[in-house]
This record gives sequence, structure tokens and C-alpha cells, in this order.
Amino acid sequence: MKIEIFFTPGCSECVAVHAALRKVAQESVKDLEWRELNVLDDLDYAVELGVLTLPSIAVDGELVFTSMPTAAQLREALRNRTRTSA
Amino acid sequence: MMFTIGKLASLTSVSNDTLRYYEQEGLIEPAGKSPAGYRLYDTDSARRIRFIKHAQNCGFTLAEIRELLALRGRDEACCGDVRTRAVEKKLQIEGKIRAMKAMSKALDQLIADCANETQPVNECTIIAALERAAVPKPMPRP
Repeated sequence: MKIEIFFTPGCSECVAVHAALRKVAQESVKDLEWRELNVLDDLDYAVELGVLTLPSIAVDGELVFTSMPTAAQLREALRNRTRTSA
Repeated sequence: MMFTIGKLASLTSVSNDTLRYYEQEGLIEPAGKSPAGYRLYDTDSARRIRFIKHAQNCGFTLAEIRELLALRGRDEACCGDVRTRAVEKKLQIEGKIRAMKAMSKALDQLIADCANETQPVNECTIIAALERAAVPKPMPRP
């Protein structure tokens, strides 16, 4: 599963929670590909996915969160996706 | 220094009606009243109006400008908060540009398909194509 966080440098909220979210993702998903994307470096890709607000999180190329989720929200979303794809 | 609405309008090159609208929307407010009861505005109002105009030129809506003005006056806000809003606005604009390019490309196809402009309108290939066209489905995600 590929998880991509789109952020903008200087977002203090992002820096503080990235590590916590990554830990949750590692615990919830076996084959995890974790990417942290500076939206200015990957603008075309962000626009292609429909990112309009920051931070946003895409899972397997689908925009899932358009604001920073809590660790519990991310865990729940990943569990639901794993269950659906199983 | 205090200004009447007319003076403020000429200072900022904005119409009186627009200034009244800004006031109604809470973007500016009079700093006082003249002895005759006319509303008076200070230099901060002029500064806010210039801010509003510049922000509009960058594509921000009045609702978004209100948030920017609020950030400007908030002690705990930092430049990163404003920058994030600017990046989000850029994302919106880039998304619109992409959508408009797709529209332009669709028109290119219709124009190219219409090889004979002397045909009667009931045989026009553009009209026929628009009548046939199904509502596009969203692109599959990669």
C-alpha cells in the first residue's frame, strides 16, 4: 500500500505528526510505501490527484484525507481499506 | 489622519459602492464619525483596501482575504500559515488551468472534425458531436 502525505514546508503541524502517522501506518499495513511530498516539488502530481488543501493524504493514488487526520482516524481508514481489498 | 469615504475611494482607486460593500462584509470599519455624522476612515483602512486588492489579483476570494486579514492580526500566526494558504490557492489555480486546457483540447477535436463549414446547420458535425457526447466519467486513478 502506498501512502503519500502532501505538505508544505513551514507547516509546523505537519512536522509534529508525520512521525506518529508513519508509525501508525507501519503498524497497520504490511507492504507499506510511505512518501512525504513537498507539494511545490510535486505540484503536477498533487493537482492530478485533486489536492486542494494542505496537508492532504492519498492512499494508493486516491485522496483520502484533505486535512491532517488523527492517528486513530488514519488507523481506521487503513484497516477499512485492508479489509475491503482482502 | 482621517478620510471620508469619497476621499478613501480616490486614495485607493476603489468605488464608494465597493467600499460600502467591504464595510458591510466586515473587511473595513470606520474609525470614527465627523461632527456632521459622516463615517471617517483612517490610514489602516487604506492599507487594508490595498491588501484586499493585491490579494484579489492573486486569486483570493473575499472570504479567503478575510481569513488572511485575521491571520495578519493574530499574534500566534506565522508566515508558514500564510504560505500554506498561498500554496493552496496555487493548487486551485493549477487545477482550473488543467481543466480549462482539457476543455480547449476537446474544442480542438470538435473544430478539427468539422471539415466543411458550408454544410447546413442540421448537418453540422459539432452540433452532432455535442448531442452524442456522454457525460465524461472521472479518470481512473493510477
